[in-house]
Amino acid sequence: MDYQKIKASLNLHAVLRNLSTLVACDEKAREIIKNWDLSLGFKIFNGPSLFLVFKDGACRAGEGAMEKPDIRLFFLSASHFNAMMEGRAVPIILKGFSHLHFLRRRFPKLTDRLAHFLKPQAFHFEDAEFRRINTQLNLSVAMRAVCELATQDAMGRCNASAIPEGTLAIQVLPKGPVVGLSKKGDALEVADVKPEEASAILRFRDVDVACDLVNGRCDAFAALTRGDIAMRGRIPMIEAVNLMMDRIPHYLN
Amino acid sequence: MSTYTYKRSQELFERACSVIPCGIPGHMSPAVNVPPASYPIYAAKAKGACFWDVDGNEFIDYMCAYGPMILGYGNEVVDDAARLQYALADTTMCPSPKMVELAEFLVDLVEGMEWAFFAKNGADVTNYAVMVARCATGREKVVGIKGGYHGSSAWMQGLAHHGVTPADASNVLRIPWNDVGAFEDLVAEHSHNIAAFIATPNHVATFYDNELPEEGYWTKIEAICRREGIVLILDDIRHGFRLNMKGSHVHYGFTPDLICFCKALANGYPISSLMGTDALKNAASRVFHTGSYWYQAAPMAAALACLKELKRLDAPQWMQAQGEKLFSQMGELASSHGYTLKVTGEPVMANVRLADDPSFMLHQIWCGECTRRGAFIASHHNLFISMAHDEAILEKTLAICDEAFAALKGYQERGEVVC
Repeated sequence: MDYQKIKASLNLHAVLRNLSTLVACDEKAREIIKNWDLSLGFKIFNGPSLFLVFKDGACRAGEGAMEKPDIRLFFLSASHFNAMMEGRAVPIILKGFSHLHFLRRRFPKLTDRLAHFLKPQAFHFEDAEFRRINTQLNLSVAMRAVCELATQDAMGRCNASAIPEGTLAIQVLPKGPVVGLSKKGDALEVADVKPEEASAILRFRDVDVACDLVNGRCDAFAALTRGDIAMRGRIPMIEAVNLMMDRIPHYLN
Repeated sequence: MSTYTYKRSQELFERACSVIPCGIPGHMSPAVNVPPASYPIYAAKAKGACFWDVDGNEFIDYMCAYGPMILGYGNEVVDDAARLQYALADTTMCPSPKMVELAEFLVDLVEGMEWAFFAKNGADVTNYAVMVARCATGREKVVGIKGGYHGSSAWMQGLAHHGVTPADASNVLRIPWNDVGAFEDLVAEHSHNIAAFIATPNHVATFYDNELPEEGYWTKIEAICRREGIVLILDDIRHGFRLNMKGSHVHYGFTPDLICFCKALANGYPISSLMGTDALKNAASRVFHTGSYWYQAAPMAAALACLKELKRLDAPQWMQAQGEKLFSQMGELASSHGYTLKVTGEPVMANVRLADDPSFMLHQIWCGECTRRGAFIASHHNLFISMAHDEAILEKTLAICDEAFAALKGYQERGEVVC
């Protein structure tokens, strides 16, 4: 499949969709959206779509088209959408001209907040709260991205076919987050997996270890041997998902 | 039985992490020994079926260094031969006569093979085998088995493994083990462009049960290869000289064109060999494939001594019998504690797995409990029996396994199984 299409799929379903995760775990993001009461639909021509609903201080994301969003944004191509995500293009507004101020001034505050966590500078990692949110977001983005790569990327499909059926829980001790995947038949999906019931577990000693790993700042094999990261259960599942996670930077910097 | 701790191993590992990627890279990485805290990291000395780690803990080695150890660590016959040769000459400007002696011995020993080529590692000869096949046939594609391992060269790893590009993997076609129909389909699809079929004698994928060839599998594969002019490569690196001194193909009743040997060839001295039929000798002579240390004389002397000793002792038969004894008794012990031990593959190099837990976590805990009581058993790989795994070793092993089963049971009953 076309590089731009895969990238757009990841940007839409893994990155933009995780605005909901950002709002859930970041107080400043909740502050930004606290009075918002509207919905946005994103549609790529001949491609995927996503909607976001902001209401009651929360953000809900969903795949596919929403019937009557307050704002409908259209993109001529996957490249157009990717350029918008990189700040190099603007969407075509099909509906919601009355929300122009929101689109130009208010919504970017939230997306800038997401970019702050997903495109950090080295000094950002000195802050513990930053590390916590960065880790949560990266794990959530990674799970969704892996599911997209499993169907759209040739290497992703190859790795996905090697994943045995079952569930994988990725857990950060002591208090979370926990993210999960479920493989059934050929389908790989994000799932709410309890670590004690999972077929495979990848567990981080703490947020700092998880943060280092998801930001490419640690030697995973060394961390596994030390016990900073623990693998249990169906290791082929962990190995294949890990390879797919390492494929993400090929599309998303 | 007391359980081991690994303070010195862990200290050394921390030092290693500063100067070596992964601390310990490759197949020896301790990361796959789950849980790592139950396993040693560095060995200080070894003798017979045992090695001692840097903390002074003694282990009966059921991995045999992942295969090379077959006569026992520090076997006097093999080591004396190597010492003698080291005293004369090892890596020199011209190769040693030992190269000729070893090639002649192998040609006499291994059924159907008429020449031998020497290198260091298994991947050296699997690579060479594929190049010889391509040279001989003028074709590109290689058919391998899903989950089959033939070394870490880029073309042999799975697509999307780190450092592997689509171009690397583009000429390797993978089919399921025991699926002759899939091979026929590939042959039809890639008519006249398949150079080789490569597989191990039975299927030994890591993290999965071993699978023996079904009735007639190898004769059917061979027939297709003959019909289509495809070079049949047997990767006997892991199995070689454990199933049959004449080659594992004799054990399963077929004739390959090329056979790769390594691991047990010299009881741990670094040497590998590609052997082939006369029909491929010309192609082999045209392919340029070499390495600085491939002419080393001492490993050749060691290999000669090792093979002669294995032959003298009728090693495969003895080791298979030891394996049958050990694993059947291990299974009985498991049952006595309420567990089901699934044993797959050939007894001399079986895979064992606690079948009571589909997630493998209980099995991983049990393997760890065996290891920290002195029987090194990895949860992800087949085990190996050597000539040093005698009755006393088996008895000690079973006592360890028994206690490990009891420990596992205790953890479960107390709700302490923390996976």
